[in-house]
Amino acid sequence: MILEKLKLLKKYCGIYYSFFKASLIADLEYRANFAARIVTDVVWYFAQIMTFTVLFKYRPTIGGWNLQEMNVFLGILFVTDAFFMIILYDNLERFSDKIRKGDLDFLLVKPINSQFMVSFQKLAIAIFGNLLIGTAWLLWSFSKLPNPEPIRLLWLLILIPCSFGIVYSIRFMMSSVALIFTKTENTQFLFYQLYRLSMRPDSIYSIKVRYVLMSVFPFALIASVPARAVLFEANPMLFAWTVAVTIILIYLSTRFWNYCLKFYTSASS
Amino acid sequence: MFLWFAIFSTRSAGGDQNINGMGMNSYLAYALWAAFFARISANWAYEFRMSDEIESGSINSLLTKPMSFFEYYLFQLLGHKAVTTFFSLMIPLALSMALPWPMNLSRIPLAIILVFYYLVLVHLIAMCVTTTGFFINRTGSITVAKNLILWLLTGELVPLDIVPSPWKEYLLVLPFSSGVYYPVAYITGRIGHREMLTGFLSVTAGIIVVGSFMVFYWRQGLRKYVGTGA
Repeated sequence: MILEKLKLLKKYCGIYYSFFKASLIADLEYRANFAARIVTDVVWYFAQIMTFTVLFKYRPTIGGWNLQEMNVFLGILFVTDAFFMIILYDNLERFSDKIRKGDLDFLLVKPINSQFMVSFQKLAIAIFGNLLIGTAWLLWSFSKLPNPEPIRLLWLLILIPCSFGIVYSIRFMMSSVALIFTKTENTQFLFYQLYRLSMRPDSIYSIKVRYVLMSVFPFALIASVPARAVLFEANPMLFAWTVAVTIILIYLSTRFWNYCLKFYTSASS
Repeated sequence: MFLWFAIFSTRSAGGDQNINGMGMNSYLAYALWAAFFARISANWAYEFRMSDEIESGSINSLLTKPMSFFEYYLFQLLGHKAVTTFFSLMIPLALSMALPWPMNLSRIPLAIILVFYYLVLVHLIAMCVTTTGFFINRTGSITVAKNLILWLLTGELVPLDIVPSPWKEYLLVLPFSSGVYYPVAYITGRIGHREMLTGFLSVTAGIIVVGSFMVFYWRQGLRKYVGTGA
């Protein structure tokens, strides 16, 4: 049983490696486009950093966080976002197009898990550069803290994969709706509006909003909880909740995908 | 808005609750109207379509029509933005009237005219990016990078008047501040008619500079184009 699972895991790792190679070749074909993708995220990072740099000129703290702490928060946000952009963005952004044009049929008939195929077929290789920039910013801002405790960074080995799992599950479920309604541009818009809530520390929100962002729409778990793990005393209950929410959401995303597939009526042929 | 609430719930080191002489309501009004104008002044969908026309070769059928590619997409963009403006205006207008936030209703038409004038400049820049497609084929990421830079320069994130000098002066003199900062600041009473005139003049200068370059660049691009996918 375990041996079979390991064989399956090896098979999927092999497939993912093939996706990686194919994406690398495809991305390098358009080099200017490749470079522009790196620039895009650097501009976005710059915008976030500048916003807080300007605002901290007028206040010593915002939501109880000072500039150094906010920079660590931004570093975690950049790293999480880079994973999202590398692994998911290209796959889920034009998912409804795949349905409209009938391309999804070709993915569904392949002898591998359809959710895996739809979610991970294309990687944005250019964004690896941004992952490095984000990590460098995180480490630099962490080193600027008055009393940095490097051991706390180990929490990120658990919490950043959780952040990715949460973003993935929510984004994937919202994309899956396209199987029912075909055109879902507004769902995408809604996702990005909600995702923006994760780009600020949870402490800036009122208690009620924070509850919602920790439970119903768990966007506060994406960057705020990992940042808290690095900056403040560990809160094992909060971390356990983050892991639990991740597992629940990934499970729900699979169930929801299978449910939506029942509504799919091929667009091609 | 959440961010502005959090900022104003903290006192500054000097104890002054205002920022740059303005209170919380002024910043909340700015955030509300900035979201509205940012939506109007950005061009994503049409620029992607224009780039797709070149990448796929479907531009061939447009080039043979008795109108220019520039006009064809400019009027689609302006028409779409007019409809968006009409419907999107309801929300900030209703909120501003219901809440005690600073707003000058009579200034809205001129602010919208400035943004539509700015859209001509935005479309000219989009034409330049699209024309690049004649040389390197795929330009989708350039569009995203360019739009993010414009978003940063328009003043949607923070009012440009609170940016420290000399950056503030540079940003205010650029035409991009007419996309969000000038119209919002005008409506919310941060600036007067004189500054609005500066906005119109800087957009005019931008149109002349970018427009001249675009004409030259487009001609070069057409010479290079070989009509793939025709």
